[in-house]
Amino acid sequence: MDGWIQILVSGLTVGAMYAVSSVSLSLVWGALNVLNMGQGAMLAAGGYIAYTAVMSFNLPIPLAIVVAVIVGALIGGLMYFLIIRFMVGKEGFETNVIVATFGFALVLENLVLRLYGAYPLRQPIGLEGGWYIGATHVPYQNLLLVVVSGALMIVVAYLLKTTRMGRSIRATAQNRQATELMGIRISWVFLQVLLIGGGLAAISGIMLSTLTTLSPTMGYDPMLKAFIICVIAGLGNIYGALIAAFVLGLFEVSIQFIFGVRFGFPALLVLVILALVWRPYGVFGKRKTERL
Amino acid sequence: MLSLSDIVSGYGSQSVIRNVSFDIPESGLVTIIGPNGHGKSTLLRTISGIVRLQSGEIHFEGQRIDGLRIDQIVGRGVVHIPQGDMLFPDMTVQDNLLMGASLVRSSNEIAERRGKVFALFPQLEERKDQTASTLSGGERRMLAIGRGLMTGARILLLDEPSLGLAPVVIEQIYKIIKELNDDGQTILLVEENVSRAITVSDQIYLLDDGRIAWQGTGEELSSEKNLMEVYLGV
Repeated sequence: MDGWIQILVSGLTVGAMYAVSSVSLSLVWGALNVLNMGQGAMLAAGGYIAYTAVMSFNLPIPLAIVVAVIVGALIGGLMYFLIIRFMVGKEGFETNVIVATFGFALVLENLVLRLYGAYPLRQPIGLEGGWYIGATHVPYQNLLLVVVSGALMIVVAYLLKTTRMGRSIRATAQNRQATELMGIRISWVFLQVLLIGGGLAAISGIMLSTLTTLSPTMGYDPMLKAFIICVIAGLGNIYGALIAAFVLGLFEVSIQFIFGVRFGFPALLVLVILALVWRPYGVFGKRKTERL
Repeated sequence: MLSLSDIVSGYGSQSVIRNVSFDIPESGLVTIIGPNGHGKSTLLRTISGIVRLQSGEIHFEGQRIDGLRIDQIVGRGVVHIPQGDMLFPDMTVQDNLLMGASLVRSSNEIAERRGKVFALFPQLEERKDQTASTLSGGERRMLAIGRGLMTGARILLLDEPSLGLAPVVIEQIYKIIKELNDDGQTILLVEENVSRAITVSDQIYLLDDGRIAWQGTGEELSSEKNLMEVYLGV
């Protein structure tokens, strides 16, 4: 029984972290057709900015998190102004932007490496203590991560569902030219989505670094997992990505608990292959049909 | 109101529209007819800024609009309802209509416009919470026109509103187009259904290979038996 509680707690915590990162990736992908290879580096940068805000500027933790989210969003904005705005509407956009955002990631990662070095650092943000369910220790930190992730998802869903900006983002995802014909300036939508994506990546980085450590390459694994989750859910399907993040988090932790840690990731990949054989357009994706 | 002066446009270095000029007066209903693939839709796409103008000028209410971004042209009141409707399939009817009012800040104004659209198309009000992908062809066309009206268009560029619809629905759509025009809405219509367009248009232009090959009223076109047969197969 205790083992299952442990799986549930760890699985939900991992799922919560995957969820924030996946929703960020999925939002940018779904609305803009941009596979943001800079996501991992942006995530790491978010963690380091929060670290700096606390350690170097002695900011209270909530304020440090706000600063990290704002700077993370600005990094997303920087990506738009330096790279993406020059590529939108050009031939080969979807492929070229993958390479360009990867280049952006390398610059950002090396900047972090230069500023902070390669040694792992301990994130000062976090909650001590926990409680026991039976013999299972449930850290407050894990609970906080699940709650924060849930609250963030509610905010993102509200933003997309009910606001004018969210409607424009959803419209752009469905038909970019029709959105322009409604008088929406597409470049603003791109900027808005990248700002939100950057902010979410920063939060994801802070969350991850509270459970592990800070390192310049800490974002690659979550980015890969977020990519897998987005593919399983169906490209650009935000709500699908959210569900898939928690399901895969629980699945990975279960496999690790039952068969050993080293089997977690391979099992995840097997699941991806099976899911894509079953539904090549993703579990929550829609089959694309074309009129002849 | 809308004035095209010697415009040439197309895709890449290829010209599709060649030296087309005409004016549309305020509250007018002008129709472009012509065989398939001769540039009718490209002409509308050029006016709305989707297709690049290679030469010539487009003026709207005395101001030059060629060279502006698509959203800026819409902001001036030139609203294009393209062929195939281009709805947002996963959004509700209500949200599709609200997208049309993206540039409107006043919620009262939005509610008033939506009320007018629902008065014109009661089916849309009944289906306001359904996603656009679940609508019938006729309802989708109504939604596309309704969404265009939500923008507060000064001129509507309507691309083949009868395409693929049942005769009874075409009648309904054309009744609405006539009503809108009678209420003062300026409309530039592209249509292959010549017999239907003749009945509503003030002026008709025949586009052949990207050039205006003939112009006149619906009555004059009806008497041009040779033209109707050669170009339009009527």
